[in-house]
Amino acid sequence: MHDLPQQLANGLILGALYGLVAIGYTMVYGIVQLINFAHGEIFMVGGFGALTAYLALPGGTTLWLAVPLMLIAGILVSTLVAVGAERFAYRPLRSAPRLAPLITAIGLSIVLQQLVFSFYPDAKKARVFPKIPGDPFELASVTIQRSDIFLIIAAPICMLILGWFVARTRSGRAMQATSQDPDTAKLMGIDTDRVIVMAFAIGAAFAAVAAVAYGLRTGQVDFRMGFILGLKAFTAAVLGGIGNIYGAMLGGLALGLAEGLATAYIQHIPGMHLFGGGAWKDVWAFVLLIVVLLVRPQGLLGERVADRA
Amino acid sequence: MTTEITPVIPVPERAARVFTALAAVATAGTALTAWTWTADFPGDLTFYGSPAGLQWLTLTGGLITAVLTLARYGIPGLRWTSPAGGNNGILLAALGTAAVSWFAIIAIAVDLGGLANLEPGGWLAGLTSLLAVTGALGLPLDRRTADSLGKPNYWWLLAGVVGYAVHHLITRTLRLAKIERKLPPARELPSWAEVLLIIAAFAVGLFAITFGIDTEYGELFTGYLILAGFTVAALAKTGLLQRLRALTVKHRPVATGAAFSAAAAFPFTQTSDQYTSVAANILIFATVALGLNIVVGLAGLLDLGYVAFLGVGAYAAALVSGSPASPIHVAFPFWAAALTGAAAAMVFGVLIGAPTLRLRGDYLAIVTLGFGEIFRITMNNLNGTTGPNVTNGSNGIPRIPDLQILGFDLGKKHLVGGIELGRFSNYYLLMLIITAVVVLVFARVGNSRIGRAWVAIREDETAAEAMGINGFRLKLLAFALGACLAGLAGTVQAHVSYTVTPDQYTFAEALPPNSAFLLAAVILGGMGTISGPLVGATLLFLIPKKLEFLSNYQLLAFGIALIILMRIRPEGLIANRRNQLEFHEPVIPAQSAPEDAVPLTKAGA
Repeated sequence: MHDLPQQLANGLILGALYGLVAIGYTMVYGIVQLINFAHGEIFMVGGFGALTAYLALPGGTTLWLAVPLMLIAGILVSTLVAVGAERFAYRPLRSAPRLAPLITAIGLSIVLQQLVFSFYPDAKKARVFPKIPGDPFELASVTIQRSDIFLIIAAPICMLILGWFVARTRSGRAMQATSQDPDTAKLMGIDTDRVIVMAFAIGAAFAAVAAVAYGLRTGQVDFRMGFILGLKAFTAAVLGGIGNIYGAMLGGLALGLAEGLATAYIQHIPGMHLFGGGAWKDVWAFVLLIVVLLVRPQGLLGERVADRA
Repeated sequence: MTTEITPVIPVPERAARVFTALAAVATAGTALTAWTWTADFPGDLTFYGSPAGLQWLTLTGGLITAVLTLARYGIPGLRWTSPAGGNNGILLAALGTAAVSWFAIIAIAVDLGGLANLEPGGWLAGLTSLLAVTGALGLPLDRRTADSLGKPNYWWLLAGVVGYAVHHLITRTLRLAKIERKLPPARELPSWAEVLLIIAAFAVGLFAITFGIDTEYGELFTGYLILAGFTVAALAKTGLLQRLRALTVKHRPVATGAAFSAAAAFPFTQTSDQYTSVAANILIFATVALGLNIVVGLAGLLDLGYVAFLGVGAYAAALVSGSPASPIHVAFPFWAAALTGAAAAMVFGVLIGAPTLRLRGDYLAIVTLGFGEIFRITMNNLNGTTGPNVTNGSNGIPRIPDLQILGFDLGKKHLVGGIELGRFSNYYLLMLIITAVVVLVFARVGNSRIGRAWVAIREDETAAEAMGINGFRLKLLAFALGACLAGLAGTVQAHVSYTVTPDQYTFAEALPPNSAFLLAAVILGGMGTISGPLVGATLLFLIPKKLEFLSNYQLLAFGIALIILMRIRPEGLIANRRNQLEFHEPVIPAQSAPEDAVPLTKAGA
């Protein structure tokens, strides 16, 4: 167990990534009660947006300049796609039976994947994403890759901005009101359509930040990367209590930690030596989801809410 | 909605009728001429006097148009084809014929490189079919009045500019959309005659479906789809389909029997195993889709990992099949293997369902999606290096032996009534029995107390529970039953495909069955109906199989179709009456009446 600090650090970094994507699920769900299946693909599209920006820059551009530009491009692409999806695919179905928007979301997720697969140059295979070069940092017994620094800085900043936005600004408070009771919020003069668009846009922007972090971390982006990551992020959102933005981040961190620790230590449990390692990490994340749904279905920070009829 | 009966092209009705009939007959006649000079185009359309390939479609379309036109003349013996009256069916049939003829012309030009490859016969077909359409436009048609049109539906822009233009032309310029005629009451027939009619109808249906499955090249299949679509629409307009439906409802056991006999007759129409393997796979896909329809259509539970239950059944059957690659060296007889597969799938269904079904429906969707993915990963991992060796990992379990049922070897050829039935024919017939079981379960459960409780839960769970329904238990029952049926189908699938590998069971892949396509088959066909998923699965299996040129953009087209379908016809091709009403509930308009126009009465105040 001497490498425990290292495993904790790995888990937390991975968890922050999940948390950033989970915020998109949780915000949209909190306001329109829709699982936006396409959110994983919004994340993926953001990664490709950032990659496009990087490829458009002249060679040899310093990463100090390139990374912010990539970030802006990724956020732009993700947000546009998410807002467009909301406007043209989800909004017309808002009063339709529950299954209709859910199936639309699945269709949208397939469409986005296939658009990138078919029309982005060379996207049939994973595309190389820049990494931050240089030796990893050593802090006591913990090694941190340089590329992860981006996430370590970006995630807390994002959370601080979001917290301030939701609690302090007019729009943020309108958002809270809409999620508590959309009808009453409308009666109080809140433009709920605008609030919904905002939720989609913020979620997409965060997903794009996560996508850049993912690209820097793994050194590649591919058209399928949103599927499993989206699933994990949704698990994180449920884990933290869906609808609660701090819960999403907390759930992400918890999930990342659990996954990291399971990967590293499950094989040391007697009789389980074959079930550890990276091949099983998705399985353990899923088992965690089932366990959470069994023992605390409202999630870590969620409150038990009555069904809104 | 106000309607009027007017022609689009103002000409005397009698003239239009004669013209349409003549043009339709002429179109059918052009199928006897040569359309192209070289045999390079698939089907060889170079002969005078004998139609081939696409020409058969034009011939059929032309004849149907002619028959429908003459039926409206009042010619005895043909009037039954047009019980509802009205001329819109004629227009649809003529359009279908024109579409298929022009598709042939364009396909020839594209395949052979230029319109110069057309013989005069091809041009003649194009011309006469267009004349028939023109003639049909001169007939008095049921149309909406110009002032009853609502706002244009820009949704069709998603289908591209062409799609929008076509939609605009039909609904706004020609004003032809969505008008239903009332059927006059049917003439009383002796019941034996009605039964004969049903049998004849299913024989025609068998012929049509066999033609579709047997198409040898993509052009013919596309043409077939075009003509079939228009013909079904035309016959629906003339009321013939409703008549038939009323008959099948009246004689349901006969109709069911006829449908299964027609399906069972399919292998006997085939000379080789080439298309029976397609048919066997269609049946597997359709049966699983029907099982999913219990879960999604009746109980309203969105299961996004359904194919995993098929996989559980298939893996269970493969492990106990006696395959040399299976670590368990046992060979169960089929009945035991089928029970094992079904039971294993059901156990997983309960394991997944029990924690999630207590919660809101959305959790189930994501948990099943996760389960589908985890199943595949786990099957990959149980390969001896990253886990215990159970499934051979990504290589799967190969060399699954053929089934022996009561000494009957399904892997060998057998002569039945002078017709040789190959391996896939045997499996097709076995699968048909399983399909029958699933249909029976669906029909019996769907109409029982349990089925009604499922529908009640689907509509409003809170209200259903207030009525004393145990929501959780019944949802779990639906989920486990669905899983069990998929597992049962999986046991046959393992034997049909010789090998089970983890990658057969994914969420979305270009080839069915996978979870996304299964769900799409249910939704496309119609939720909560029996025939819907069967039709949906057949279409979704045949289209990717036959149209290989689509292969690169298949999933893309599939995703777009899913989105558009949800917007335009969420109840599916074959709509459950209740669903149709639910999905097209008129939106309660906002209080738009000017306030001063409505005097306040005491009751209103």
